[in-house]
Amino acid sequence: MSWIAHFWIVLAKELREGLRDRKALVTALFFPVLGPLLVVVMLFLASDSTRQADEKGVEIPVAGRENAPNLVAALEQGARIVPAPADPVEAVRRGDVPVVIVIPPDFGEKLRAGDPAPVRLVVDESRHQSRPAATTAERLLGAWSHQVAAQRLVVRGIHPVVVEPLAVEREDVSTPASRAAMLLATIPFFLVMAMFTGAMPIAIDVTAGERERQSLEPLFAAPVPRSALVLAKVGAAAAFGTVTLAETLVGFGAVPLAVPATRIGFSVQFDPAMLVTSFLLCLPIVLLAAALMVVFAARARSFRAAQTSLSLLMLAPSLPGMALAFLSARPPPGLYAVPFLGQQMIVNELVRGMPLVHSQAMLATGSAMAAAALACAFAARTFERGQPLFDDA
Amino acid sequence: MIRLDSVAKAFGKVRALDGISFEVPDGQITGLLGPNGAGKTTALRIVYGVLRPDSGSATVDGIDLAGDRLSAQRRLGVFPHAQGLYSRLTAREHVLYFGSMHGLSGEPLRSRADQLIRALAMEEIADRRTEGFSQGQRVKVALARALVHDPRNVVLDEPTNGLDVAATRQVRTLLRQLREQGRCILFSSHVMQEVSALCDRVVVIARGRVVAEGTPEDLRRQTGRESLEDAFVAAIGSEEGLA
Repeated sequence: MSWIAHFWIVLAKELREGLRDRKALVTALFFPVLGPLLVVVMLFLASDSTRQADEKGVEIPVAGRENAPNLVAALEQGARIVPAPADPVEAVRRGDVPVVIVIPPDFGEKLRAGDPAPVRLVVDESRHQSRPAATTAERLLGAWSHQVAAQRLVVRGIHPVVVEPLAVEREDVSTPASRAAMLLATIPFFLVMAMFTGAMPIAIDVTAGERERQSLEPLFAAPVPRSALVLAKVGAAAAFGTVTLAETLVGFGAVPLAVPATRIGFSVQFDPAMLVTSFLLCLPIVLLAAALMVVFAARARSFRAAQTSLSLLMLAPSLPGMALAFLSARPPPGLYAVPFLGQQMIVNELVRGMPLVHSQAMLATGSAMAAAALACAFAARTFERGQPLFDDA
Repeated sequence: MIRLDSVAKAFGKVRALDGISFEVPDGQITGLLGPNGAGKTTALRIVYGVLRPDSGSATVDGIDLAGDRLSAQRRLGVFPHAQGLYSRLTAREHVLYFGSMHGLSGEPLRSRADQLIRALAMEEIADRRTEGFSQGQRVKVALARALVHDPRNVVLDEPTNGLDVAATRQVRTLLRQLREQGRCILFSSHVMQEVSALCDRVVVIARGRVVAEGTPEDLRRQTGRESLEDAFVAAIGSEEGLA
């Protein structure tokens, strides 16, 4: 009987058992929805906050506005000035208001005397969403301060340009679309998570699970090449990972349907060719992920230990993908050869609408396939030695 | 025919087998008898190819397990020490799975499975998933999958462990049938009664060595004791680990 015949027999049995495993099925069916769903929700939230900011302008509460009517008039040119809450510090800390400008009673007096006039800007730097309001407040205060200084210089017969060696012009090129791109950069992360999550229950079940249920010994007593045995197990795990990966991609493909362009002010587009390319690019790392998980789970002392070690194993390749979301600098080309990372970088570029660079795709695919082959060979060797049945065999 | 030749196996510093040799002829039931921890399971695991000896050799019908494990295993029906089942497969699917691993397929495999299911009186449980099976039912499934390829040699590690009287009798009847068919049967036990009720030959091992060998009568004669139990105690030199 040929090696491949044994491989198919074991693979068919592992798949049949896997399909009857409710936990594995639920994971494979529902996890893929999670990533696309999250992106849809974030897109809606992002579009809402953008619209609020655009329509109403920034709202800045000011306490003690009667102390500086001129300053407040200037602030009103750039923001909507509203009365401040009774306790500004507490209100900002709780996040009720993003920022509060507090003008003390001695403001006018100090200003007239030419002393620095005190203004308190109450802000919580740890709150990301209060940053636009705080920046606006700082900018408006700075502009007014600068204007008063210029007037004072003119009074003393000095041209204000003298104290302006730099003419900084700030140009914000971020658009809603580019902000959304940051969100879309989480897609590679979700793809890697999906393939690991889908393959994990199977990888554990066919190794640590099988040993814990004591069914590994009869299997090892059967006349089957151990390499066929373990590769069939890797194959079953990879099959589940592949399905989960495909589902996740289809889910992301459906995001534009759920988020109409008119609502968010720009269109998200995933054309089917891009999704298929991403799928094919990821296939070698699905195999690599499955082989790694089988190796790790086979070495784990128990089912539980296998779950713990695989959860950690899953983090290692998916975190770099997460970092991509916040990385704007161009990564060095050598990184494309790092399995998982290379694929995530390429998918990230595809998602941003950049074309596929064939040399990079070949590099990433080649190195991932080599790593997968290595992991499979290692798995085969551990099984040939009698592991995971007996650690010392 | 199964044969062990100066087989030694150590786990770390523990010498589980210290050079044991014995032969299991066809058409007979050979009992491997010994106290707990004597090395019975280790010896059987080497015979059915899941453990490799440190030195010495084990052969099945003249085929060395170290040289051609797959051919040797094809000639063996194995009821191993650990007999876990797949909880999401039915009893019949277990038999079919192991049959296909032995190279059977199609109609011959299906009819062989039917035949075994009838022979072991497991028609009622045949198409149920094995989750929640009783110990007796699990043993039947394990026996059926061990015998699916009609092996010439059968190795069983404590097959009656945890069985009630009726199930134990069924297993003994089955072993006698296998002997009538001229097969080579090797089973281990630490239960004296079982060995004396069933075995044509007995191999007594203790501390990894063969300490006595022969028919039950031979043993009694060699040690000069009346009962096999006394003979056994005399052979291993202590009463430790007996039942």
